[in-house]
Amino acid sequence: MERFNEIACEVLKLSPEEIKDSLTPKDVPDWDSMNYLLFISALEKHFNISFTMDEVLNAGSLGDVKTILRAKGITE
Amino acid sequence: MKAKELKFEDIKKGDSAFFEVVINDHDVEKFAELSGDFNPLHTDEEYAKNTGFGGKIVHGMFLGALVSRFVGMELPGKKALLVKEMLEFKKPARVGDLLNVRGTIVHKSEALRLLELLIEIRTEKELLVSGSVNVRVLP
Repeated sequence: MERFNEIACEVLKLSPEEIKDSLTPKDVPDWDSMNYLLFISALEKHFNISFTMDEVLNAGSLGDVKTILRAKGITE
Repeated sequence: MKAKELKFEDIKKGDSAFFEVVINDHDVEKFAELSGDFNPLHTDEEYAKNTGFGGKIVHGMFLGALVSRFVGMELPGKKALLVKEMLEFKKPARVGDLLNVRGTIVHKSEALRLLELLIEIRTEKELLVSGSVNVRVLP
């Protein structure tokens, strides 16, 4: 999911080498609550999708967010 | 001045609003005092004349503050919480310029109550500032 990774790098201030499905807020200094919202918003805008509040709250890792995107048909 | 109070539910992608303002010398002096930025490019006409700008220019962050005014007073207004502001200063604003500050909704996140707006500040002749803001709309 190349485009997903690019957005994650940009918003969460990660290098491409750091991107892993297992990353959680504990691992990423810039993954604070507000940046997480900006990350989700950027994904919504780019992929033209909407998250539900449950999806936003229940995603605990980068892999969880990817799983939600895949469920919405996003594979980029 | 009273802030507009738009309901999140009534805001949609493509909505836009604007206000116009003329910044005078006194405003620039007040902003210099408030921010502590007395750089002569903003406060000393003789100095500024000898730069490439030909005269004093308005602080870039004064224009940033106008963006704060826009989201806090116009769109979405009272319920706004500014969480991110990214601006590119393309041309300087000068004392006496009539500035048009406009924002347009380019994304609305229902779950997050978060808006993204495209921001432009223009004179009649040219675009001075462009950028974006992210704004939460409080319940």
